[in-house]
Amino acid sequence: MTNVARTGQTVLIVASSMLFAAFTSAMAVRRAMGGDWQAPALPAWVWGTLLLAPIASWLVHRERLKAAMVAGSLLVASQFVLLTNLTMASIGDAFCAVLVASHAAHAAAGVLALGRFGARAGLFWHFVGVLWIYVLFVFGAWA
Amino acid sequence: MTIFSTDHKVIGKQYMGLALFSVLLGMVLSLVMRFHLVHPDAKVRLFGALWPDGAPGGQMTPELYLSLMTMHGTIMVFFVLSTAPQSGFGNYFLPLQIGAHDMAFPVLNMLSFWTTTASLLTLLAAFFVEGGGPLSGWTAYPPLSALGKITGPGQGLGQDLWLAAIVLFCTASLMGAINFIVTVIELRAPDMGYFDMPLTCWGWFVTALISLFAFAVLVAGGLLLLLDRTAGTSFFIPGGLIVSDQIQGRSGGSPLLYQHLFWFFGHPEVYIAILPGMGLISTVLSVFSGKKVFGYKAMAMAMLAIGVLGFAVWGHHMFTSGMSPYSSIAFSVLTLAVGVPSAVKTFNWVGTLWGGRLRFTAAMHYALGFVSLFITGGITGLVLGQPGLDIYFHDTYFVVAHFHLIMGVAAIFAIFAGLHYWFPHMYGRFLHEGMGKVHFYLTFVGVYALFVPLHFAGFAGNPRRYPDFKEYEFLQPLLPLHVGVTHAAYFLAAVQLIFLANYFWSKRRGALAPGNPWGASTREWRDD
Repeated sequence: MTNVARTGQTVLIVASSMLFAAFTSAMAVRRAMGGDWQAPALPAWVWGTLLLAPIASWLVHRERLKAAMVAGSLLVASQFVLLTNLTMASIGDAFCAVLVASHAAHAAAGVLALGRFGARAGLFWHFVGVLWIYVLFVFGAWA
Repeated sequence: MTIFSTDHKVIGKQYMGLALFSVLLGMVLSLVMRFHLVHPDAKVRLFGALWPDGAPGGQMTPELYLSLMTMHGTIMVFFVLSTAPQSGFGNYFLPLQIGAHDMAFPVLNMLSFWTTTASLLTLLAAFFVEGGGPLSGWTAYPPLSALGKITGPGQGLGQDLWLAAIVLFCTASLMGAINFIVTVIELRAPDMGYFDMPLTCWGWFVTALISLFAFAVLVAGGLLLLLDRTAGTSFFIPGGLIVSDQIQGRSGGSPLLYQHLFWFFGHPEVYIAILPGMGLISTVLSVFSGKKVFGYKAMAMAMLAIGVLGFAVWGHHMFTSGMSPYSSIAFSVLTLAVGVPSAVKTFNWVGTLWGGRLRFTAAMHYALGFVSLFITGGITGLVLGQPGLDIYFHDTYFVVAHFHLIMGVAAIFAIFAGLHYWFPHMYGRFLHEGMGKVHFYLTFVGVYALFVPLHFAGFAGNPRRYPDFKEYEFLQPLLPLHVGVTHAAYFLAAVQLIFLANYFWSKRRGALAPGNPWGASTREWRDD
């Protein structure tokens, strides 16, 4: 990976982290202030998708890019299914939908980047994986 | 010159063109507002023709006034102040000044420009949809901005388009910021360390860092607001809210949450507008003083300090929102602390001039004008940064005068300085020096004639955003002052024709410039 590619992805990761930090802090404030918080009820199968992130990262590491793209696409597809289970009228669900949809956008971009740039886009893909674990942690363990 | 060029010089010029169009449009909107403030009952056929719903029979409605104000602020803040100094000059000159062939990601650069253009077109489309432009100001505070048409014409599709435009603009700015940061980190010439870069590059670099952190947060706020408007969520809409006698069926949302998200972006935005100008002015003062910049390292560190502190002061925009007095004090102290690096910069600008062989070119005039405006506009920031005073001045014309001087006019003076300084590089010809100086003096007098009296209107408690002062007894004594301000605005707009004439004439007929006309030592003049 060239220095430009690595630094470019690092800076992009900072920007994306800032977006998710903003959503998370908004959620913390809204949860504390609103008095109408209900944690989203995530279906049990969602926890299975936790495995997809490290598997896809491992596949990228082994340069098995097509298999990694399949794993990434499966993750995006499962996120779409999850989104259809959430109702926007509940504030917990709404925040969950925002974070999952934002993550799906990142994951889809990550898959496309793997297709276009190959293993050079690996750093961003690893970030996508860590970010998914973070999102599920936020709604599973904290919210 | 191809339209979808990936060349950084072409893209820089394209950004400048977009900003020039935007500034002229924003200025015309402000003239219409100033006209309305002194002739609130005038029936103007042109208004009726342009805005049949907003000005029936040519009589401007308060809603149209607010939509003009919203569009003026949005166009000026985003498409002029965040665009010309950073994306315009920065794209053109950053690679040249650090010895790079182009920006790190040329295709991303091109996409960034065209996304900005799409954003501007989306914003302007709001004028032409049902209800017209949005009414909720460039800050788009909910609940006014969150509830749709029920809160006024322009709050329907107009506000949706505004939000879409902002999200697009943020995306474009993030792409630009990534490009600037990577270019500075990775593409500097091998012999150029960070502290060998010209201060212009420091300005663009720190601005890009600020943009990276700030615009991501505005995207978050904008998307949540868009969902409140379109998906029935209650991020920002409180429960039990009654608008136009109708209860809004939402619960638990917090308008203050939006304000926090907005101002976490909004205050750093001020520095996005001004920091590239600071870098530019440092270079211009140095070149035309025949000296190195006084205290170079302190200047670079001061920019970084302003950038970092800028993220810790957003609460001073919310002193009247009912926040705890302890929080107010914390935000106040941090706000006043911004005065320290600002004073370092001002001191060092004077230090750069001190003992130099000054050459009073047009660019030098604008640079000195910038320092003047930075001080007069900045000093009132110290007034507003104190909660006790801000509670009185909040939402008055004092605030309008403050931010126009520091963020608006000072940054515009930096752009004028940059254009005079770099025009020979961009077009191979000089801007006419005599016309430039005449334009400078008239503009300098004009901006102070316009904005100093507005401070006094603020002292008198004159609220901003009111479309018709004569309706309020306590504002009637201020009407003569506003007549004067409006005439100053007409004068100021008229003298900009001198600049436009100079710009277009000099591009084709200006005196031919030699390779390094000002005797500067930075790389852009060497490489050409």
